[in-house]
Amino acid sequence: MITVTINGKEIKLEKAVTVLEAARSAGIKIPTLCWHEQLEKYGGCRLCLVEVEKMPRLQTACTLMVADGMIIRTETDTIAEVRRGVLEFLLINHPLDCPYCDKAGECELQDLVEKYGLTKGRFREQKRKVPEALEDPVLVRNMERCIVCTRCVRMCEGVQGASAISVINRGGHSHIEPFSGGRFDCEYCGNCVSVCPVGAIMSRLHRHSYRPWQLGSETKTVCPYCGVGCTVVVQVRDDIIKRVVPKLGTVVNNGLLCSRGRFGYEFVGNKERLTTPLIRKNGLLEPSTWEEAIRLIASRLSEIKDKHGSNAIAGIASPRCTNEDNYVFQKFMRVAVGTNNIDSTARTGFAGAQGFIENIFGQGATGNIISGLANSDAVFVIGGDPTTINPILGLQIRACSRRGGNILTVGHMKGLRYYTPLELRPSVNTEIALLEGIVSALMKKKGPPGSHPVLEARLKDLNAQEADLPRICGIQGKDFSRFIDTLAEAATPSFVIGKDMIQSKGGSYGLFLVSAINYIVNGRIYLLSERANEQGLLDMGCAPDLFPGYRPITYPEFRKRYENAWKTGLPDKPGLTIFEMMEAAKAGALKCIYVMGENPVFNLPHTKDVEAGLKNLSFLVVQDIFLTETAKMADVVLPALSWAEKDGTFTNMERRIQLVKKAVHREGMEDWKILSEISSNMGVRMNYSDAEEIFGEICRVSPLHRDLNYEEIEKGDAIYPYKGEPLRGSTDEIHIEKSAGREERGKLYLRVERPLFHSGTLSRKAPALVNICPEAVARISPATAAALSLKDGDIVRASSKTGALELPVAVDEAIDDSAVMLSNNFQGKGAFSLMEYEIDPVTKAPCLDSNQIILEKVNR
Amino acid sequence: MERVLLKNIENPESADINEYKKAGGYKGLPKALGMQPREIIDEVKKAGLRGRGGAGFPVAMKWTFASADPKFPKYLLCNADEGEPGTFKDRPILEKNPHILIEGMAISGYALGAEYGYVYLRGEYPGAKDVLNRAIAQAYEQGFLGDNIGGKGVRFHLAVHQGAGAYICGEETALIESLEGDKGQPRIKPPFPVNVGVFSKPTVVNNVETLSNLPYLIEIGGEAYSKIGSPDCPGPKIYCVSGHVERPGVYELPMGTSLKDIIYDHCGGMKAGRKLKAVIPGGISTPVLPPDKIDCPMDFVNMPKHGSMLGSGAVIVMDESVCLVKVCFRALKFFEHESCGKCTPCREGTGWLRKILGRIEHGEGVDGDIELLLSVAGNILGKTFCPLGDGAASVVQNFIKHFRPEFEEHIRAGKCMVNG
Ligand SMILES: Cc1cc2nc3c(=O)[nH]c(=O)nc-3n(C[C@H](O)[C@H](O)[C@H](O)COP(=O)(O)O)c2cc1C
Ligand code: SF4
Ligand code: SF4
Ligand code: SF4
Ligand code: SF4
Ligand code: FES
Repeated sequence: MITVTINGKEIKLEKAVTVLEAARSAGIKIPTLCWHEQLEKYGGCRLCLVEVEKMPRLQTACTLMVADGMIIRTETDTIAEVRRGVLEFLLINHPLDCPYCDKAGECELQDLVEKYGLTKGRFREQKRKVPEALEDPVLVRNMERCIVCTRCVRMCEGVQGASAISVINRGGHSHIEPFSGGRFDCEYCGNCVSVCPVGAIMSRLHRHSYRPWQLGSETKTVCPYCGVGCTVVVQVRDDIIKRVVPKLGTVVNNGLLCSRGRFGYEFVGNKERLTTPLIRKNGLLEPSTWEEAIRLIASRLSEIKDKHGSNAIAGIASPRCTNEDNYVFQKFMRVAVGTNNIDSTARTGFAGAQGFIENIFGQGATGNIISGLANSDAVFVIGGDPTTINPILGLQIRACSRRGGNILTVGHMKGLRYYTPLELRPSVNTEIALLEGIVSALMKKKGPPGSHPVLEARLKDLNAQEADLPRICGIQGKDFSRFIDTLAEAATPSFVIGKDMIQSKGGSYGLFLVSAINYIVNGRIYLLSERANEQGLLDMGCAPDLFPGYRPITYPEFRKRYENAWKTGLPDKPGLTIFEMMEAAKAGALKCIYVMGENPVFNLPHTKDVEAGLKNLSFLVVQDIFLTETAKMADVVLPALSWAEKDGTFTNMERRIQLVKKAVHREGMEDWKILSEISSNMGVRMNYSDAEEIFGEICRVSPLHRDLNYEEIEKGDAIYPYKGEPLRGSTDEIHIEKSAGREERGKLYLRVERPLFHSGTLSRKAPALVNICPEAVARISPATAAALSLKDGDIVRASSKTGALELPVAVDEAIDDSAVMLSNNFQGKGAFSLMEYEIDPVTKAPCLDSNQIILEKVNR
Repeated sequence: MERVLLKNIENPESADINEYKKAGGYKGLPKALGMQPREIIDEVKKAGLRGRGGAGFPVAMKWTFASADPKFPKYLLCNADEGEPGTFKDRPILEKNPHILIEGMAISGYALGAEYGYVYLRGEYPGAKDVLNRAIAQAYEQGFLGDNIGGKGVRFHLAVHQGAGAYICGEETALIESLEGDKGQPRIKPPFPVNVGVFSKPTVVNNVETLSNLPYLIEIGGEAYSKIGSPDCPGPKIYCVSGHVERPGVYELPMGTSLKDIIYDHCGGMKAGRKLKAVIPGGISTPVLPPDKIDCPMDFVNMPKHGSMLGSGAVIVMDESVCLVKVCFRALKFFEHESCGKCTPCREGTGWLRKILGRIEHGEGVDGDIELLLSVAGNILGKTFCPLGDGAASVVQNFIKHFRPEFEEHIRAGKCMVNG
């Protein structure tokens, strides 16, 4: 126990902390500028100077550690004088911009000057003049206002790990500059903006459009983009979102955001938003009324049901909609329509992979706490770059490395390249052999743990051994041994699995092998998730074979429970997966698809096929916020409310249920509301008054959510199974499909790029994100570029069996020589349009890794 | 007293290892290798050796801390940044007698259990770099550096790292940052370098002159060494004298030689018999002294009692032809230029002081400017992160303290009383 006296108040402390922390714990405020709770100590601004008895000089409270018996004074006349002096120094070169500086009102410097009341200016010389730097799409730098506290630099380097900016020059010429010169060209997380105490680095999105005190409301909610589920605070003026900021102290992202979360909100107010229902008349989508649209849908659905049976209708749910929306959606499909034909784009990887892994290790096996990654001593990454797919999770991996943990990657992960990864980069389509090699090497080194006989039985017949790897995968023995040694020695390893792993030939076998590795070294698994409520939609039973809470529909006993709860009989046969729906539509067996908040034409591979299927339907309903590629083909389009305009819950990849709250007002209906209206029109009454009531029902029917409510969720720790309902155990059978991809050297394969600045088709409606990353490019390696005589910016025709696109190339050292990377975000330029697939029979996910692609230069 | 540190430097080949040996070099190292590391540190303690880099910190104390830290490996850094204006005392060692430094570092490394050493060399000493590198190569050849020094299995490796011209990189923690490849800015202390230094390992930073004392100290023993010069602060000391004396230059004398003797005896007195106006005794950061205050022993213990500091032992002598406002202005220009920018008072205050001094110097001073200078200096002093800012403030305070009328005259007349 350490006892210190601050301002006469005795404070007892468990462990040595800084004087600043000790003071704060006792409610004593010491002014600070360079200190920030997320950042390493700096001690530069000198504002926190305090008097400490027996110490000759004043001491900075933010750096000095307390010692037993220390007597400290934080507010004396001398100290007030000193602080005034420091503030005067900060002001001599500081412009008097307050009247039009966007920071005014929440500027730490302004607040302190106000508190310590500076007298008149004594500085008679010219102030430093630096023009505002406006080269950048989302950030603006005003270095006249910079007080060189280096908070931004320490954030960018020590937390974000981008190391994009630094203090340039020395002394009075010090200022902050991106290493790339005028433009930041960085990860655009904006976390530097969050920590800048003054108006020196700010967001450009709301420039000069409001003052902080003019905010109408601040709403704490969840980011709409990815499965990390960061807490965001949406700040609104006149029903327009002015700013989205993180909040310190929140469990998932503690004051940090990524580019999408921070700058991607403008889709909400986008002029292209759908405003009224549209009905196809004479081949054209014409504006109509809600009444007409709802009546039409209800009668068409009933008609098809009567004529072709319930199973001629299918529904596609949305990983961007709330749990409540998705719950009502599946209930609508099962009860009002009477089918289990319910699925979503989670089928492209997440759903099958999660099911597969849970089947081996038990339910919940992939839902681990994201911040735990930082405490792992090794993180194994495969199948995608977590720093772009789930950026805030990526930061935890960087933090792990900073704390001395090892990063192990299969394939090159660009966002981890400065974190000294041990990297194994197998040649094209040979990951499976490599994983087999890893399993057999680990088995030799560590032996079978003996606790999972079913899994171990499956390990008997591995094809590739360590000795084969140089030949098959082109991996050197010494790199491999280092990798294996590190993995074998890890005490708390984590495994991060991305979609590329799942979407490869033999994906289920690959997943099995990664699971086996995880089992041998006793790790935990993280499954990357690209959509905000991908987990929640599965929890809600938006799957052809599962009820809410993962109860299999084929078990009569469970079916009974839901029949009782919903007071109706339920179909007992599993429905179609999203891919089977497309097949059935093409074959004419399926007549109608109801799409809620999804864009299958763009978000499913083999666009032409999807289009052909949808064209073949007799009735297509799309409920969305934009007129997407899919909506354009619909018979009826219904405008929905977006994430910012409704209440509900999202469940993130950790299985943490969080409240989504209405931040802006907009005319219209929530997805669940639209569905209940249609349902009622079909004679199945749904009378929910609000999302909370729906959630009440969810908690009654889903064993995972039992006893939960919005109040509990608000506290932030609502991770299901809430209150420890036991989860399903592991199985005694593991199905795998061994087909491995064939390697053809010298050919180029198309790979899906999952960029940091975009996410599906939502982000292209956010101008800031489009400004950062405006167009689709085909990324190729320098060797590919050389072989094809291409240089950056050249236009190529990229063609595959399913189509061709023209687009510019970018030469990127991070790309494998056999790969062409193309994102699936930009209209008409999506990678999926060039891809065919086969379905993995076990995970039901598409295998996309065998798509060869040819690049030809287009001369203009 | 016979010269120790600058022995043999008249010999044009003095930097050669064989010449060094002929003159009695590489005797301390074998003797040291015959001792226990602990015994060496005890000898240094008995000798009372203090650091020559400016602060006069007891060497044995620093070494004890570092050797007590169990972390491994440990590092020994030689501070050869020599950036304090007026200072050129390390340069003759580096250029003319590099082996005494190498031998000293090998002894120190052995005493500390440090197997790696770096000489952080001032960027503006390209000549010294070549000399040092050649000398290091020779020392490796003859087994005074390497994996098996003196055939005793002792390891010590040495390399030169050249700075890029920032004065602040002479401050030991900024030096470490710079050596690691980062921007040269001081680090928070504690932890001190002796525990968490370069590459986060225990690190001792000592000045060139400090380390060069080791061979002789070990050779004659701590007891005998402590009899040289000032009893409070013994040993030989290099004073470098510049300015208006008859024979400016480098003088190795017993520590504690009086400032007056240095100027009037060793340097032959004032140039052309002109009158002494002011002396800066230990580099620009140390308080200036007026002529009536120069009868003081030049060592770390006594100088503070006489209103100044020994600093680096760089004596700058100024006669009546000098305008002290201009000197003060020039000094602040230096501090402003060299402020690393980490802390507010120094980053902003040095520039402000320079600007005020500039307008006084250029005849544009106004009433109250002296009070403003003192107030601004007062707002810097004691509030900065490292001593550089303090140095800047105290220069202003001391110039005004001793030569206020000259400042007043500048403001009143709008011109200089010395140069019109
Ligand atoms: C601004 C500043 C500049 C310094 N420059 C030097 C220098 O050039 N050479 C040097 O030896 N010490 C310099 N020092 C002192 C070092 O920080 C350190 O005290 C010294 O290297 C320790 O060596 P010593 O104990 O042998 O004196 C400087 C200190 C400060 C604050
Ligand atoms: S936006 Fe993020 S990556 Fe870019 S400079 Fe700021 S902290 Fe660094
Ligand atoms: S830009 Fe802001 S955060 Fe960065 S150093 Fe300047 S004032 Fe501090
Ligand atoms: S990491 Fe995901 S949830 Fe968090 S801000 Fe980024 S996109 Fe949103
Ligand atoms: S006093 Fe402050 S600004 Fe000046 S050199 Fe030291 S740390 Fe840098
Ligand atoms: S807050 Fe302590 S020095 Fe800046």
